[in-house]
Amino acid sequence: MSSGRSVKATARPALTPFAVLAALVCAAPILAIAWIALSGGASDYLVHLAETRLPVYLLTSAQVGLIAAAGAGAIGTGLGWLIARCQFPGRNILSWVLVLPLAMPAYVAAYAWLDLSQAGGPLDVATAGLFPTIRGAWGAGLMFALVLYPYVYLLARDAFAAQSADAVQAARTLGASPFEAFRRVALPMARPAIAAGLALVIMESLADYGTVSHLGAPTLSIGLIRAWSGAGSLLDAARLSLVLVLVALFVFSLERAQRQRARTSAASGRHRPASRLQLTGRTGIGALSLCLLPLLLGLIIPLARLGWRALHAAYTPDVLEAAANSLFLAGTSALIAAGLGLLTAYALRTRGRIATGAARLAGLGYAVPGAVAAVGVLAILSGIQGWLDPLWRGMTGEVFPILLTGGAGALIFAYLSRFAAAAIGPAETALGRVTPTLDGAARTLGATGWTLLRRVHWPLIASGVAAAGLLVFVEVLKELPATMILRPFNFDTLAVTAHNFASDERLGEAALPSLAITLIALLPMAVVARYLSRDAKSGELDD
Amino acid sequence: MTDLTVRRACRTFAGEHAALNGADLDLRPGQVTALLGPSGSGKSTLLRAIAGLEQLDSGDIRFGDTVWSEPGTHLPPEQRKVGLVFQDYALFPHMNALDNVAFGLTGSDRKARAMVQLGAAELGDKARKFPHELSGGEQQRVALARALAPKPQVMLLDEPFSGLDRRLRSAVRARTVAALKRAGAAALIVTHDSEEALDVADTLALMLDGVIVQTGTPEDVWFKPVSAAAARLLGDANILPGQVEAGRVETPFGTLPCAAIEPGTPVDVIIRPAGLTAVDGDTFEVVESRYAGAERQLSLKAADGSLWYANAPAASALRAGDRTGLQLDAAFTHITPAG
Repeated sequence: MSSGRSVKATARPALTPFAVLAALVCAAPILAIAWIALSGGASDYLVHLAETRLPVYLLTSAQVGLIAAAGAGAIGTGLGWLIARCQFPGRNILSWVLVLPLAMPAYVAAYAWLDLSQAGGPLDVATAGLFPTIRGAWGAGLMFALVLYPYVYLLARDAFAAQSADAVQAARTLGASPFEAFRRVALPMARPAIAAGLALVIMESLADYGTVSHLGAPTLSIGLIRAWSGAGSLLDAARLSLVLVLVALFVFSLERAQRQRARTSAASGRHRPASRLQLTGRTGIGALSLCLLPLLLGLIIPLARLGWRALHAAYTPDVLEAAANSLFLAGTSALIAAGLGLLTAYALRTRGRIATGAARLAGLGYAVPGAVAAVGVLAILSGIQGWLDPLWRGMTGEVFPILLTGGAGALIFAYLSRFAAAAIGPAETALGRVTPTLDGAARTLGATGWTLLRRVHWPLIASGVAAAGLLVFVEVLKELPATMILRPFNFDTLAVTAHNFASDERLGEAALPSLAITLIALLPMAVVARYLSRDAKSGELDD
Repeated sequence: MTDLTVRRACRTFAGEHAALNGADLDLRPGQVTALLGPSGSGKSTLLRAIAGLEQLDSGDIRFGDTVWSEPGTHLPPEQRKVGLVFQDYALFPHMNALDNVAFGLTGSDRKARAMVQLGAAELGDKARKFPHELSGGEQQRVALARALAPKPQVMLLDEPFSGLDRRLRSAVRARTVAALKRAGAAALIVTHDSEEALDVADTLALMLDGVIVQTGTPEDVWFKPVSAAAARLLGDANILPGQVEAGRVETPFGTLPCAAIEPGTPVDVIIRPAGLTAVDGDTFEVVESRYAGAERQLSLKAADGSLWYANAPAASALRAGDRTGLQLDAAFTHITPAG
């Protein structure tokens, strides 16, 4: 308790408002959606939808989510174990390279794989029609598994690496064979972490629009975009959003519960790091090949196909302006999100009830699919507009200028409500390394205020905060549905450009912006991946 | 019943000095052997080699006529049927106490048998608790029950009491030894705490630099250490170099008989602090005087600058700076050829 008190003594309660701000940014869209969705009667469209398409949307969402989870679970868990527990040629580099498929948007992988496998495509021709066409719920689930498995991989790898060797060896002395020890001890001990990773995969696949629309898997996101772009009804879109958000929140709560369990199941005594299984010769090559396979399928083959397509395109679109827009949006969102995440993490340090509650609320944002965040932001902005319009008319006699809707600010608002949560977590982890005793030590040595922040805090948290910002940068760069709904007229991003060409079946033109997104995302993703694999490396020193 | 024998066991880890350098050890059913050594002496490696968790470079480990380890042969741990209690207990965090104990059991009645084992450890009411809900002492008992449940013929315990509160330790120790005796297995307890080793051991084995330097009853080992280094393992000792002449060794406290050692041999006279008691005199200067409950422990300096450990009655008024004489009790001395 005494340490808790000293934390409060050094806390800066003035930071609590930032946590509240983060919570407002993240929660406001959902609240607005709930407000709109629950007011007013059922529209004809919605009744019609519930009778016809809604069951299909729900079923397809479940199918896609489960296939994605099964695939990502198998790949991520297997690779996580190999990297954490074995030593083989290339392991140290693969440890972070295996994270890189996260830089590939699922819809870009889908463009390439459908192109390769559809009737008349090279895979179809080469196998005389035996290779199945990648489309539908199966295809979409597969694409998600290939690019989202790193979520499972990262959590599983760290869980396996954190397991004390003693547990597995205890199982061996109690009569379990190596495989049995894995099945009965190592795997169950890592299960909460794996489950948390699976929940992330499912939430991401629920939030996707580009992949499922290209491969023809009508999920809830599709229904939502159709309700908005087709019927143009904010009310209907809000109601579908509510359904989607409830599903996502359910998965999200599972994730949080599993993380909680992971914490208790990891807390056990002294840690004796396991010496890695030495795989040499043929088994070493086998392990290396297993690791290269998902990289090949999720990153290299799609990039190669799109590269070929871009080179052979009849017309090369000018993507410079779209790229500038993408970079501007991603960069701005990343900076704000990293700042907001850091301030929220500091506010959390006060352990104040308001700050903690606000941070948890902000964390919910991660469960909000981009399309839902966009509809929520629209709902808020149209509410403000509806409220200001009469005032404006009263003063000027003219229609209120439509400034609020459709600006880049609205887009950034939507991005932040979805991704600020992604920045709070890493910032909180990074700040966790600055223990109250460190503060105390620095203070007794005369470092206070800015000196303390500059000389002790910043060196410890800088890389974590940077990683959080880069992660948000990549996510915003890849984001499609929110951008489609909220982008100002004639304001295209790389993702929107790629999607528009691809949905017109002009894959040659879609290839260049797709390549651009992935290649731009790869560098920051590599930095994040190395940051996330840093602890695993320092663990090696203890071996 | 069957003995476990370790002969000339050698094991070198890559880039390090030899952890095992020709270690010999015998474990007998129903007997507790304590393996005492400083950290880095190879005692944990020896225990892990017996469990099958480390391979030997040379030498062998046999259980009766069965070869467990020798060059070219390595019986995997799951086929050795040893019980192993880890220093951190290594309880499975995802299983409750009952499932932990039942882990090594097979058959439809495994839960019932595990429950009996838990009951014997007086943990019947904690069967549904998960490891993180148990106290340190309870975790230790679950770990012991789990290792004992499959009725192993060899029990290995790696520093099993080091994680416990000092206050709890002796009670847990007594309970553990009783459980081991009931099970009748050949037991090996690895420790670096000499008091603990003396307390639990039927047989005490001393390990230094990868070699078992002495094996015997605790009394034998304590009173008749084979070398100065072995003596120091079990506590403070005054080591006095000397030479055997005509069956005797001269010391500043008088002459000691020594018929067993060849005349002319350089020897170490080992004197436990309990063998030197403060008496009237002024040959030694008290450097430090520590109160240790039953007695006062003194560090003293002789005129030639040499340092001595001795005891004084608890009520003694000797303090640092005082001068005193010392009297030798020959029962606490032992003479070995100088190492």
